This record gives sequence, structure tokens and C-alpha cells, in this order.
Amino acid sequence: MLGKLDWSAIPFDQPIPLIAGGVVLVGILAVLIWVVVKGHLPYLWHEWITSVDHKRIGVMYILLASVMLLRGGSDAIMMRIQQAIAYQSQGYLPPEHYNQIFSAHGTIMIFFVAMPFVIGLMNLVVPLQLGVRDVAFPTLNSVGFWLTATGALLVNLSLVIGEFARTGWLAFPPLSELSYSPGVGVDYYAWSLQISGVGTLVAGINLVTTVLKLRTKGMNYLRMPMFCWTTLASNLLIVAAFPILTATLAMLLLDRYLGFHFFTNEAGGNVMMFMNLIWAWGHPEVYILVLPAFGIFSEVVSTFSGKALFGYRSMVLATMAICVISFMVWLHHFFTMGAGPDVNAIFGIASMIIAIPTGVKIYNWLFTMYGGRIRFATPMLWAVGFMVTFIIGGLTGVLVAVPPADFMLHNSMFLVAHFHNVIIGGVLFGAFAGFEYWFPKAFGFRLDERWGKLAFWFTFTGFYITFVPLYIAGMLGMTRRLQHYNVAEWRPWMIVAAMGMAVLSIGVICQIMQLVVSIRNREALRDRTGDPWDGRSLEWATSSPPPVFNFAFHPDVRGEDAYWDMKVAAQQQSLEHDELEYRDIEMPRNSPTGFVCAFFATIMGFALIWHIWWMVILGGIGAFATFVVFAWRDHDEYVIPAAEVAAIDRVNLEERRNLVSMAGAI
Amino acid sequence: MSDQTHMHEHDIAPGDEEQHSVGERIIGYVVGLGLALLLTATSFFIAGTDLVWQPSIPVALIVLAIAQMGVHLVFFLHITTGPDNTNNVLALAFGLLVVFLVVGGTVWIMSHLNQNMPPMDQFIQMHS
Repeated sequence: MLGKLDWSAIPFDQPIPLIAGGVVLVGILAVLIWVVVKGHLPYLWHEWITSVDHKRIGVMYILLASVMLLRGGSDAIMMRIQQAIAYQSQGYLPPEHYNQIFSAHGTIMIFFVAMPFVIGLMNLVVPLQLGVRDVAFPTLNSVGFWLTATGALLVNLSLVIGEFARTGWLAFPPLSELSYSPGVGVDYYAWSLQISGVGTLVAGINLVTTVLKLRTKGMNYLRMPMFCWTTLASNLLIVAAFPILTATLAMLLLDRYLGFHFFTNEAGGNVMMFMNLIWAWGHPEVYILVLPAFGIFSEVVSTFSGKALFGYRSMVLATMAICVISFMVWLHHFFTMGAGPDVNAIFGIASMIIAIPTGVKIYNWLFTMYGGRIRFATPMLWAVGFMVTFIIGGLTGVLVAVPPADFMLHNSMFLVAHFHNVIIGGVLFGAFAGFEYWFPKAFGFRLDERWGKLAFWFTFTGFYITFVPLYIAGMLGMTRRLQHYNVAEWRPWMIVAAMGMAVLSIGVICQIMQLVVSIRNREALRDRTGDPWDGRSLEWATSSPPPVFNFAFHPDVRGEDAYWDMKVAAQQQSLEHDELEYRDIEMPRNSPTGFVCAFFATIMGFALIWHIWWMVILGGIGAFATFVVFAWRDHDEYVIPAAEVAAIDRVNLEERRNLVSMAGAI
Repeated sequence: MSDQTHMHEHDIAPGDEEQHSVGERIIGYVVGLGLALLLTATSFFIAGTDLVWQPSIPVALIVLAIAQMGVHLVFFLHITTGPDNTNNVLALAFGLLVVFLVVGGTVWIMSHLNQNMPPMDQFIQMHS
């Protein structure tokens, strides 16, 4: 009846996950009860859960990413403490638990923090920058988000029901095969990634179509803001690479569920094929994450230097070059597997070549800043911190791109330090810069600068105190994923790294404080004009937060930096004419399709993990039926009458007119 | 969002270019179907015949298969060289490039791995 599921699935003998799970459960219940008692449920349902508004979906993605960042961060703290005390002792985490923690940390940080954070920012900002009213497929967008949330839910469920994978974040066979991992851990891993992978693919298709097909009047490809270009490149990579992940995990699942032999040791299976395929996805994935971050930095650097982006066209070229070359380097993740010098040399050279367009970008940002009137607001601090940190991470990356050096450093702590250096210094700093930069746009008030700067400085210094020791430990021969060790020279560095983790945690606390303080002072921090940073692209041409239809009129774009041109020429058509002819606007209706689909997908995923076959069928039918019901809908749009559009738009126009006339007076 | 569509008339998705009359479109599909069937029949014929030089058969089949793909792209997926089709052609080219890189790279890498790491019995034979 319940497949493999029984009471032994709940780890009563392990206090740490049980207490953590209990605390989270109580927290969720408390929030739910508060929502219901206060009567917020209808609001939440109508305005957020069923929303197909790209801005709302973007905010929900970022919220999901932030919550999961806390979960993944807790895992990181536990690992650092374990390695600091597990010198000639077992530490406080038994091996099977420690292995689950580093697997969960990697899986969560990549798939449920970095991915939703950048997809959320792209969702929130790209339609605004393109000057359009929505993404190409609004309901599909909602489905994509909720499927991602399903994946995150399943990963967290593994904390209290059953176990998570002990195989590392990419579940290499033969360890991840049934003979070595008979438990449900790998199944939790694979099914949550399969389900959230569908969500990611859907988001990718949606954003590619949006950039290619929905642009406002005059928005040529070569007038698009840099962030739109990096979004295009990143989502092209999603569309091209994620099917490889899905196929690879599907083969692993066939091995585990139906006795196939794709990656087993016996019966003609080939484990090396798994490494090859998973990294053919895995390397483009790195660029899927970091390209949007590059876009964010381009916007931030240009805005806070008060200059147009230096070398816009070379930046576009570099972005698209990275997009293509990222598919030519994947073997550098397994130089040591034995493909031989010919293969290793070609992939090593390709890996060094991809550093060139990245270097072009760094110089472009530096030259954008050169001669500019730089304002060191919080987003700009993250951008400058990124440039310094990312160059170090990039250089250590070029170092391990040299095959002989990689043979020494493969799977060492040096490698761990390197990829944290580029992912934290690149993606996470970018996500934070974007968060600080676009928060006023999303919510209508700025974030507190003092707490923001504190958060930056603690995170920045904390990062170096944590990861420089890991580089050194790697040089001293320490390998990754050690539950305990007996080498005295490594010990001091592990202790320093743990202290760095404490500093990093203070940074996170500052970030939370910033949010709390800003929400409390929101009236004082209110952004009435919609353009708090003196921005250059079209998202600043509408109010903060933007109305559901984004723009009352489609902006007419005449060059790069569309909104800046409008301001300079003071020829914002909507400012010139007093009486504008507002027209009715059609917007897509909200739909519970995404939420209901994900609900059934969660049931199906859970049932697949525990082999509860009747429930699998039930969930599958439910998800399919939801899709059919949506496909048969009669009305998918509603009309906002011209009078309402006018009423909403005039309020913001008034503020903007005041701003322009004040600027004129000065 | 009807007022957005007008600005991208140079940029139409497959299936959107419905300006032709129904008759014309049916003729297009029929021609495509005919060519596809012809190519399929030829493949089967070549595979079983001894009319052509035997070693050329695999090459001929590959050529016919590529022609088949071309027929599908032109007559059924409506990929043309027209300026309204740049996006679709570029998307196709990108897809082909990625498939080529991943499949070609995989074959290359795996063959080298197999060469360097043969199964134990072969390995012993080689070194005995």
C-alpha cells in the first residue's frame, strides 16, 4: 500500500535532522496559522499563488531562493564546524550524515538558490527592460516556478522522511547505483531534479521567446540592455543543456528502478559515460548562472558610474562567444579520468580560451568606471567586490585548466575554493547586487543603505577568511569531502575557515536586518518617482512598483540606454502632452494551473521515491488533467478599462513631472 | 497585446505565416509528403539491392537521411531563407552546433577512454 514507506523512514535516532525538521515544521505551521487567522489567505491565493504576473513570479522565485539559501548555508556552517573539530576524532557528525550534508549543500545551492535567484531576477526585470507588458507565456511561467518549488520541497522533505543522497551533488555512479546506494536518498535527489528541471526548461523557453519575440517599438537587438542579452544567452544554454541533464538522470533512474545497465559496473554499463554526460550539462550550467550575473553587473556599473556601458558591442560579442564556447570545455571536469593527452590538451586550451571573453567583460566594466562619476551605493559595492573576487577565482580557474596542474589539484580543497570563489564571488554577489538594485522597483521603497553596506563588508571579508584557507589546505594536499582527518598541518586552516564562516553568517544576518529595518522605515524610503538610482534602461521609466500592465504606453526606443535618452532629451512623450489617449489594456488572467500542477507533481514525485505506484498514477493523472482543463479554457484575458489605466498612470506621471521640473530648475 | 504584433512583421514564428491560401498550403504539404515517401522508399530499395557498388550503400543511406531531414525542415517546419525566418534558421544552427559538439565530443572522448582503459582480460593480453 505505501511501498517502501514505513515508520523506520523517520530518523528518530538522529537528533540533528529531527530537531531541525521539527523547528522548520513548527515555523511553517505558525506562518500558515497566522495567514489563515489574519485572513490573508484569499489575498495570498489571488494576488500571489495564482498570479501569472512576471513581476510577482520573479519575486516568488527570489523568495524561494532566499529561504533555500538559509538552508544551504546551515549545511555549510555544519560542514565547516565538523572539519574544524574532526582532527583525529569523529567530530560531531557521523559519516553517513556528513555525506548527506555535503550532497544536500551542493544540490540546494546550485539548483534551488542560484538558479531560482537568477531566473527570478530575469523574470522580474527583462520584460520591463524590453518595454513590454508580460513574458511570452505567462501561465507557463507560473508552472515553471511551482515545479521548481516542488523540487525544493522534496529535497527538504528528505530531511525528516527517509534520507538524502550521500553521493555528492552530481550523484556519480557506481556509488549512486542501487548496489551501493540502496536507500531512497538518490531517488530523492534524482526526482526533485527531474521535476524542477522541467520547471527550469519551461522558464528557459519562456525567456528566450520573450527576448526574441516581444520587444517594444524600436528595441532592436543592438539596443537591448546588456542584462537582456545575457538573459538571452543564458536561456539559450538552458534550452540546449538541461535536456542532457534530464536524459542522464533518466538513465540513472532506469538503472535504479527497472534494472537497466547504463552506468553499472557489470553487464556492459559504463560509468565514464555518466561523467561525460553530466558535465556536458554541468559546464554550460556554470555559464547559465554567471552570465545573468555579468548582465546585472553591466547594468549596475553603468548606472552608478553615470556612463553608458563601455564597449557595448564587444560585450554582446563576448556574451555570445561564451554561450557557444561553454559547450566545448566540459572535459576539464574529468581530465584525470584517462582520456589521454590529445583530448586533455584540446579541452584544456578551450578552457583557457573561454577566459578571454570573460576578461573582455572585466576590462569593459573597468573602462565604464574610468572617468565616471561613481556612486558607491550598495549595488555598486557588490559589483566592485565581484570584480576583485572574480578575477582571483578566474585565475585559479585558468590554473586548473592546465591538465598537469589539474592532476595535482583534482578533487582537492583547492578546487572547492576555486568554484566557491567564482560562484559566490560571481553568481551570489551578482544576485545580491541585483537584489539591492531592483528591490525598489519591485516593492516601491529602497533598502536601508547602512545595513546593506555592513552586509557587503561582512560577506566580502568573511568570504576571504573562509576560502583562502581552503586554497592553502588544498595546496597542502587536503582532498574534498573529508569527514575527519589526521594531518596536523590542515587543522589551523580549517579553524580559520570556520571563523570565516562566522563572519559570513554575520553578513547574512545583516542582510536580514536590512530587510527588517527597510520594511519598518518604508515610508521614509519610499521611491515615488520610479527612478531611485537615476537609471538608464526602461524598467526605470515606469512607477515603483510597476502597475500590473507595466507601461500605459509602449515606450518608443531610439537608441541604447533608452530611458536615459528620454530623460536627456526631456522628450518623454508622456511628459509632454497633458491629455493622453489612454486605451484599454488586455492582460492575462490569473490561473491556479501552475500551483495545481505542482501539487500533483509533488505527490507523484514523493510516490515515485517511495515506490507507491497507485499514488504515482493518481499524481500523473491529476497533473495531466490540470493541463487539459487549462488547454480548454474559454477566457484567458481580462480588460483593464482605459479610465483605470489613466488613473493609475497619472499618479506616477505627476511625480515624474515634478522630478523633471526640479532638475530643470537646478 | 495586439499593438505589439505589428512591429515584428519581419520575425514570424513557424505556423504564423498563414497568408497563403489553403490550396497552396495543401499542395506544399503533399509535395513534401511525396518527397519524404520517395526518399524513404529509395533508402529501403538501396539497402536491399545489389545494383550499386556495395561499399557505397552506407554513404548513400546517410545522404538520403540528410535529404529527408531537409525535406522535413522545408515542407513541414517551414524553415526558409527569407528575412522573416532569421530567428528560426539561427535557432536551428545553434541546435545543430550543440548537438554536433556534444555528440561528436562524446564519441571522441569515449573512444579515447576505451582505448586507454580496455577491460581487464584484453589489458592482460596486450601486456603479456
